[in-house]
Parts: sequence; C-alpha cells; structure tokens
Amino acid sequence: MTTPYLHINGIRKVFGEVVATDHVELSIAEGEFMTFLGPSGSGKSTTLYILAGFQDPSAGDITIRGKSILSTPSHKRNIGMVFQRYTLFPHLSVGENVAFPLRVRRMGKSEVDARVKRALKLVRLEGFEDRMPAKMSGGQQQRVALARALVYDPPVLLMDEPLSALDKKLREEIQFEIRRIHQETGVTILYVTHDQEEALRLSDRIAIFNKGKIEQVGTGPELYANPATHFVADFIGDSAFLAGELASVSGERAALRFADGTTVAAVPLHGSGRAGQAAELMLRPERIELATEPGPEGASLPVTVEDMTFLGNNTTLAARTPWGAALSVRLNFGHPLAANVARGDRLHIRWSPEAAHAFVRG
Amino acid sequence: MLLDFHKLGAWKWLLSGICALMTLFLLMPILFIIALSFGDSRWLIFPPPGWTLKWYEELFADPRWIGAALTSAKIATIVMVLSVALGLLVSLALVRGKFRGRAVLRAFFLTPMVLPVIIVAVALYAAFLRLGLNGTLVGFVIAHLIVALPFSVITISGALETFDPAIEDAAILCGASPWEARFRVTLPAISHGLFSAAIFSFLISWDEVVLAIFMASPGLQTLPVKVWTTLRQDLTPVIAAASTLLVVLTVLLMIVAALIRKGKSR
Amino acid sequence: MSITLAPKRRGSGLGLAMPAILLLLAFFVVPVALLLLRSVTEPEPGLHNYRTLIGSATYAKVFFNTFFVAGVVTLVTVLVAFPVAWALAIMPQRWASVIFAVILLSMWTNLLARTYAWMVLLQQTGLINRSLMALGIIDQPLQLTNNLIGVTIGMVYIMLPFMILPLLGVIRKIDPAILQAAALCGASKGQALFRVLLPLAAPGIASGGLMVFVMSLGYFVTPALLGGTANMMLAEMIAQQVQSLVNWGMGGAAAFILLIVTLGLYAVQLRFFEPKPEVR
Repeated sequence: MTTPYLHINGIRKVFGEVVATDHVELSIAEGEFMTFLGPSGSGKSTTLYILAGFQDPSAGDITIRGKSILSTPSHKRNIGMVFQRYTLFPHLSVGENVAFPLRVRRMGKSEVDARVKRALKLVRLEGFEDRMPAKMSGGQQQRVALARALVYDPPVLLMDEPLSALDKKLREEIQFEIRRIHQETGVTILYVTHDQEEALRLSDRIAIFNKGKIEQVGTGPELYANPATHFVADFIGDSAFLAGELASVSGERAALRFADGTTVAAVPLHGSGRAGQAAELMLRPERIELATEPGPEGASLPVTVEDMTFLGNNTTLAARTPWGAALSVRLNFGHPLAANVARGDRLHIRWSPEAAHAFVRG
Repeated sequence: MLLDFHKLGAWKWLLSGICALMTLFLLMPILFIIALSFGDSRWLIFPPPGWTLKWYEELFADPRWIGAALTSAKIATIVMVLSVALGLLVSLALVRGKFRGRAVLRAFFLTPMVLPVIIVAVALYAAFLRLGLNGTLVGFVIAHLIVALPFSVITISGALETFDPAIEDAAILCGASPWEARFRVTLPAISHGLFSAAIFSFLISWDEVVLAIFMASPGLQTLPVKVWTTLRQDLTPVIAAASTLLVVLTVLLMIVAALIRKGKSR
Repeated sequence: MSITLAPKRRGSGLGLAMPAILLLLAFFVVPVALLLLRSVTEPEPGLHNYRTLIGSATYAKVFFNTFFVAGVVTLVTVLVAFPVAWALAIMPQRWASVIFAVILLSMWTNLLARTYAWMVLLQQTGLINRSLMALGIIDQPLQLTNNLIGVTIGMVYIMLPFMILPLLGVIRKIDPAILQAAALCGASKGQALFRVLLPLAAPGIASGGLMVFVMSLGYFVTPALLGGTANMMLAEMIAQQVQSLVNWGMGGAAAFILLIVTLGLYAVQLRFFEPKPEVR
C-alpha cells in the first residue's frame, strides 16, 4: 500500500491517571471527509486537538504525506479549524476576521481583498464584511469561522462539533453547506461529532470512538449493515439486543440458545467464540417482520404482544419473548396485521439471515 | 495558545519571571521592616549587626504609643458598629426599596470613596473648626464613618442581592412579624456580608491617615497620626516595631476574612 | 405572595436610608460645598484665586508634578500588571493563590508602614543604595528620596494591586479557544499577543489605568513622605494652603480643580467602560 495522505499512528494521550486516547490508528485519503463519531469523553476531540497542536501526545505520531507534523507548532501547521464555541475575534469585523490569517502571513492588500471576498462568497455571506461578530446569529458566526478557516487554502480542515450550539433546522442547513463546500474545495476534512445522523449525512467514512479507542472505521452503510461490535451496533441506528449463549459455531455463523432453550440458527457471528459462551443477538427493528407463522431456517422467534402505539407512519408494538425479554417491533402503516393485532396475541418475528448479528459478550 | 500555560514555551519563563520579581517587590518592604524591628541598629543598617527586642520595649514603655493605639481601637470599634448598622439600613433601602432614583442614591453613597480623601479632609477640617469638633472623639468617628460607609454599603448590598426575599415572605407566612422575619431569617443569611463589612470598616478606620492628621489635636491622636508625626522627625526603628505589629494584625484579619468567605461558600 | 405582602411590608424603603443620607449631607456634601464656595469668596469675591493658580510658575510646577507622576505611575503599573495578571489567569492554581495572597497582603498592610519601609530602603544609606554600590553599579549613593523618583516607586507599589485585580478579571473572561483559533490561523505568539490578546484586554487596561491615574492625582501620604517639600503635588499643596498658610481661598480653588478632574475622569470611565464591582 502506498503512503496514506494523513496517517494517525498509534496516538496515545494520558492526563494524569486518565487515558484519553489509547493507540488510535487511522489513515485518511486526500480530499476525504472523515468523521470521528462517539460519545463525549471517547477521545475523539483529544485526537483532533493533537492534530491541531493544542496538546502533545504521550506516544505515537501523526504524518502528512509521510512527514511528521508533531514538532511543528500550531501556527505553522497550515491547518484550518472550526471550533465548537464561537471563536471569532470579537474586536474585528467579519472582513477582518477572515483576513486575519492572510494578514499574519503578510499577504498583499489586493490579494487579501480578493481572497476574503471569495471566502465569504463560498459561505454565502457576501457583503457582510463590515458587520461585527456580536451582531450576527450563531449560524452566521460559524459560517464566518468556516470562511476564516478556509481562506488560506489549508490542505486539512478540522471541525470540532461546529454545529452543536445551533438548533436542528439551522444545523441541517449548514450541514448541506458544508457538503457543498467540501465538494467545491476538495479539502480534506476531519469532523468531530456525537450526532450519528450528522455523521451519516456528511461523511465519506466514519471512525467510531469509544473509551479512547477506535471501534470501527467504515462508510455509513458498512457500519450500519455490518457493525463489528456491540457498541457500534448500538451507536449507529436503532437495534434490539437479546442476551443468550452460543449453542454452536461453524465458521462465520453461529446458533444461539436463549434462557428457555429457544434457539435461532445460522446467525453471522462477529468475533471468535465457542459453544457455551455468553453472546447476544442483534436485530434492526425495521428489518424484523411480524408474521403468524415461524420463518424458515430458524430465523424467527415467537413473541407475545403486550402493547401497541400508533405513531402515524408506523405502529410500534411492545412484545415479549417466551423467556421474558422485551422487544419492540414496527409495523408500517397499512401492514395487514396492524389493524387487527391485539394485546396478548402470540405471533412470530422473522428476519432474513443476513439481517441479524451475533456478538460474543466480553 | 497564549492562554494555555503549558503551551507558552519560552514565554512561560518570561511571565513566571516577571511574576516572581513582582511578588518579591511586593513582599520585600514588608519582610524588611519586620527584620529591622528586631535589629539592634538605631540607624537601620541591614542586615542588622545583632538582634534585639528593645524597640518593642521602647514602644510599650511609651504611654503616647499605647494611648494612640487605644484611641485608634476605640474609634475603629465605634466606626465599625455605626458603619455596619447604617450600611445595613442603606442596603435594605437600595436593594429592597421601591422608590425612584435608587441608582442615583447608590452613586451618592459611593462618592466619598471616589473623591480624593484630601478634599473630604480639608472640607471637614473647616467645618469642624467652626463646630468645635476638631480633636474630639466624635469628630474622628464622623470623619472615618464617611469614608467607611461606602465599603459597608457595597459589601452588605452585595450579600442582600443574592438573598431571595421570598424566603422572608415564607417566614412571615409561618407567622413571623416582618421585623421578626428580618432578624431571624434575613440577618443570619447575610451574616457573611455583615462580617466582611465590619472587618473592612474597622480596618479603614484603623489605618486611616489623611483625615486623622486633620482631626488630631495634641491631646487626641490615633496610631497612624502618631506614626506620621514620628516619621516626620526621624526614621526610628520603633516605627518598624509598630509597623510589624500592624502587619500581624492585617494578616490575622485577612485570615478571619478568608475563613468567613470559606464559611459562606460551604 | 409577594403581591399581597409587599405593599404593607416594604413601603418605599427610602426612610431606612434617611439617617445615612442626613449624615452625608451634613458632614460631606455641605462641608465640601462650603469649601468650594470659599474659593470664590475669600479673601474677597471673585475668581482671582483661580487666576493665581493658573498664572504662577510655582503652581504650574505643582500641576506638572502631579500629572507627570500620575502618568508615569499609571504607565509603569500597566506594564507590570498586564504580564502579571496574564500569568495569574493561566498559571497552576497553587502558585497563583500564593501570589494572590501576597498581593492582598501588600494591599491591606498599613499604608504608613509600607511608606516607612520605602523611606528606609531608598535613603542614602539604605539597602538599595548599598546593594547597588556593593555590586559596583554606582560609586556614589543615588538620591532616591525627597524627589519624584521616590514618590513614583512608592506609588507604583501602592497602585499595583488596583491594576492587577481588575485586569485579572478581564483576562479570565477571554475564551482560550479564541487564542487557539489565532494560532491555527497562522499567528505566531507575538502576532497573537498584539493582534488578539492585547486588543481583547484593552478595555480592562484602559479602565484600570484610568482608575490608577485618578487615584494617583489626589494621593497625599506617599508624595508628602517620599517627595519632600521641593517636589510638591496637588494634594500636598491643598493641605499646605489650608494648614500652614491658612489660605482657604487658594486651598478651596485647588480642591475644586482636583474635584473636577477626578469626577470628569470617572465620568469617562462610566461612559466608556462598564462599571465593575469593587475587587476586595
């Protein structure tokens, strides 16, 4: 394999007793939109700060085109960044904020003017040059921050939850802008968020962070269809987990047995395991089908309906397995069962073998 | 990252160096007089050739020093009580009052703090000459009260602003009379403000020089006046001994104030 | 609840402040007004006291000394206080609290005790002169007291806390992420200091500096003790006119000028900078 464009090589950061990131390893292609997704405290922001040079790693290296950047101070890294908090310089106008990176690079006046104009056009804020930041909305401020981060054509742009302070509608609007700007400029973007929808909407690839480690890297559909761990399955999309144990393992597939002896067969198994180990069955609710008869190949379970809630486009059933585990099942509006299902009905949930996953429990 | 101490590089040492020098500059004179007060050189040679307690003996043997200290203590105590009492009434009016012009009244109460003391001193001196209050205890107390009151008002109204009057209402609903509610509920709740105001007022009166110089007579003078008149004659080490005792008092009061603040945050 | 209780219980509240209002009227407002009145009535009605003050070279020197010393003290105080406040805002808590305690100690130590210490330290045979001579920097002791050098050193010592504390408050409120942004934008430490940190701290520097300047203008004790009679400042002159020369007209006129300048500068302060709560 050729040298990757940006390589994060075994980054580890320890604050006193706390390990913030532990051996983070990741390669990013030029022009790629890579998102770090994870809960707060998972190490995604720490990794970004190390890239920006705000913190030094305890171990590991970061290279761009094979050259380490760690010994370069922040102001010489030529990296752009948009922060979670509003970080426009409050004493400078919008135009001067965007011009700031060019002024400290001692660029000529006509060049500065032309670039500021172009950058503000890119974020659709032409004509706002003389406005003061305090007189702008949060969304506008973040767009100015984006212009300021891009005006000097940095090859890499870091974004640290830039939209978390905005309301949902505005957030979606700016997400769309960010996608467009990514396509227009071709800049490599590293984007940190804890919002899975935002990650799926924006990214080429997503790295899922948990407890200082990367759990899985992949495109949205890959992560959704093939989560490598329980954590990823839980974090991306809705899913139901049913705890049991491995009844038998053959290659990549396993049969699971539950508390009352019910078994399901031929479930794709993630990680290695042997018969008798604790494991769990993961199902996506929208890929579960409700039927009066059990399905073929053991890809089904009997359930008892406990409650129904009509939610417009679907009816959500609260159901219980014979051994007492709770489960929710969606019936799309117009499903033949939706109209005449009742509390206490005994039915079967069925799925295609590829839609279920088995995870060995650590 | 100029606001991240560990990312300052060489600048970190520059800033730390300036801080260290400034701390030394602030601390040196205080440590210096403490050392001199125990040195046995009348001419204030440093380091002193030997150590002695004779300046303290001289200080305590002189009835004028003792008398001045007692006068200061008496005046400061009276000023403290009056300043807290008046400050509390003013604060209740400023914070709880419903009349117009409260902002103006607040500014009015703070002006004696803002004006140069020399103006107040000269003006009061003229007035007291006519009223015959110069060189009297009452004259001292009035003069010191004028400059101590603003600090009392600031501290007590600050404490009162953070206290929710609804709690007082609750006490009244429980059957307390309005004044009973103030005494049993509000006063204890703002006690830290009252204590701070008391300490500030005492210290301001105790340390006050300019007004005191104008109010003093040969028969009645405060400790700062005694230090002042002695200083104008010569730099005797007795002043170092007196100053050291004043520093000790300051440290004690600072500790008390810190303990009060700690008790408040708990 | 408060709707039913409030009118009965709280009244207007103005009555509570009455004793203090009367006290201030009788012993502050009226005496100051009378003093100012004497400036235009004694020895005879007219503005001649002010004409003398503005016209004579002796008084011109007093005004020059006053404004010059206040200006230098303010400048030096700002130059020292800014790095100190900056460091205090970001250094490890343990060290910051030690330095903070020293600042409070020096601020609350008796003014005369502090001035006495400087009189001894700065005198001809004092520690400073002897140290400088021992180090071979000077051959003859420097004249450091009874002149404006002594006054300036003594006043800087007294004013430093009044500059550091408000500046510390201003710098603590600046978001460190703004400086991180400046660094990533390519600003070196020097550029970030002059283009971002200093402009953001400027309101605090201006308002603290103004406060120190105003306090220095009217200061009495330190100039009187460290300055000597040849280098008089305004407050000292007022005292001298009243106490030694018993010239109430001139004393009142000088006091009026000091009052106007002081109130004028405070008005600037209130107009352009938010009023800040006292830091004590």
